[in-house]
Amino acid sequence: MARTLMRFTGVGGQGVLLAGEIFAAAKIKTGGYGLKTATYTSQVRGGPTVVDITLDDDEIYYPYANEGEVNFMLSVAQVSYNLFKNGVKEGGTIVVDPNLVSPTEEDRKKWNIIEIPIITIAKEEVGNVITQSVVALAIANTLMNAIDKQVLIDTMLSKVPKKVHEVNLKAYELGEKYAREAMASA
Amino acid sequence: MATREVISTGNELAAIAAVDAGCEFFGGYPLTPSSEVMHVISDLLPKKGGVAIQMEDEIAGVCCVIGASMSGKRALTATSGPGMSLKAENLGLAQMAEVPLVCVNVMRGGPSTGLPTRVSQGDILQSKNPSHGDYKSITLCAGNLAECYTEVVRAFNIADRFMQPVIVLLDETLGHMHGKADLPTLEEVQAGIKLRKTFDGPPEEYHPYECGPTDPAVLNPMFEGYRYHFTGLHHDKNGFPTEEIETCRKLIQRLEDKVEAHKDEIESYEEFMLDDAEILIVAYGSVSLAAKEAIRHLRDEGIKAGLFRPITIWPSPAEKIKEYTDKIDKVLVVELNIGQFHSEVQRAAARLDIEGLFKVNGRAISPYEIVNKVKEL
Repeated sequence: MARTLMRFTGVGGQGVLLAGEIFAAAKIKTGGYGLKTATYTSQVRGGPTVVDITLDDDEIYYPYANEGEVNFMLSVAQVSYNLFKNGVKEGGTIVVDPNLVSPTEEDRKKWNIIEIPIITIAKEEVGNVITQSVVALAIANTLMNAIDKQVLIDTMLSKVPKKVHEVNLKAYELGEKYAREAMASA
Repeated sequence: MATREVISTGNELAAIAAVDAGCEFFGGYPLTPSSEVMHVISDLLPKKGGVAIQMEDEIAGVCCVIGASMSGKRALTATSGPGMSLKAENLGLAQMAEVPLVCVNVMRGGPSTGLPTRVSQGDILQSKNPSHGDYKSITLCAGNLAECYTEVVRAFNIADRFMQPVIVLLDETLGHMHGKADLPTLEEVQAGIKLRKTFDGPPEEYHPYECGPTDPAVLNPMFEGYRYHFTGLHHDKNGFPTEEIETCRKLIQRLEDKVEAHKDEIESYEEFMLDDAEILIVAYGSVSLAAKEAIRHLRDEGIKAGLFRPITIWPSPAEKIKEYTDKIDKVLVVELNIGQFHSEVQRAAARLDIEGLFKVNGRAISPYEIVNKVKEL
């Protein structure tokens, strides 16, 4: 596998960090290399946050995504979308929550932009807004086909308390469903 | 050598390393980007019968670590640049009184409060002389996740061997990055633990600071019958203040020489693709990761670059640097400051034509920036 670079962006407090850790750990479990880095501001909440995930079969040294090389980005905040979108290579996929991010027409020409209401899915269909990071995880993996689904789910479950396993599994299935629908209509 | 695979962050690995190395006490104050060291160790230590205390400030954090160490315990504190500034006075006390301790500094942008959440390597020169006066600092610098563990383990053994503080430098990138580390087994780490010497003769014959010209003091744990005086003033063989000319001279000379005479025990570095290198890159910490990636790209294009990475920053591997800079014409030092180690490379190489690539805006140096700079040389 060639190197896969994914970028999750939001604002501090939304929990975008966890999805990155799960991806990196799952890749390592399959015998490869995975690294997650997070860049955030000194604001406790509300500052733009970016998580870079690098997955490779060969050893990875530099842990950040090089600008213009990101294959996939997911964004749930306009401020972060604006700041970090240019890291995505031309033709790359960007998933946005349309209630929170409005890409320009120019953006739509440059990148494959997919709109999925991630926060609404987590809040209303799963019933717990905290599961948005797992909805995002499922969307990213379904679109990128980066990691064996079962390995990713097992890794995810190992990182959340047992009492919320069921709700997180539901979040994953919903995320996958919406991603598949988006792929079908593309 | 058997290893174990751990998926973690640099900060967490530093905390685990301390516990594995026999650290029984942590005192500190949470400071971004080092806070996770404290979070993790305050969970681990009590489970092993140890103690972790959040003190009222950075100064108290290092002071209680000095106290714990004087009771014979291995002790750790962790902080970032602003905390190092506050701890500096008492790191000097520990140098003077010869109290072993380990201080992890996860570097962020400075000076002052600077850029709390962003990466920097601005504390290289501060680590050399955090406090006033003459002494020889020992500073180790992790360059990958595994070394966030192994260098903390090594720091505890060096601190006990030389009876003085040992600083372990991480940076924000290493402290927070999450990935795989291949670590030595716990059995191997425990088998390698070398505790400080103690005196077991009659208490009236105990003189902690009466030692050979290149030896460290022998401090028995306090309150166990071996009495001595503890001070930051120049002191005699029993630790009592003195201004006697020869005693003062010998004491400070010994603080220098106990490290200088045995620096081969501390020296550590990595040589990466240097065998046939025509361009020498010197980098350390997280920047060395970008440098390695850059060297991959450069070699793909037929440019023979290699990396020299000091792991022990102070005392610096000066002879080894000179060996390479004598052999290789084009030398580039890459660091997240304005040439703090660059000046050391110039000194070691006795050359003023050493090139530099520096950055001080809290952002990492990317492999492509290094590639482009190398092509300009």
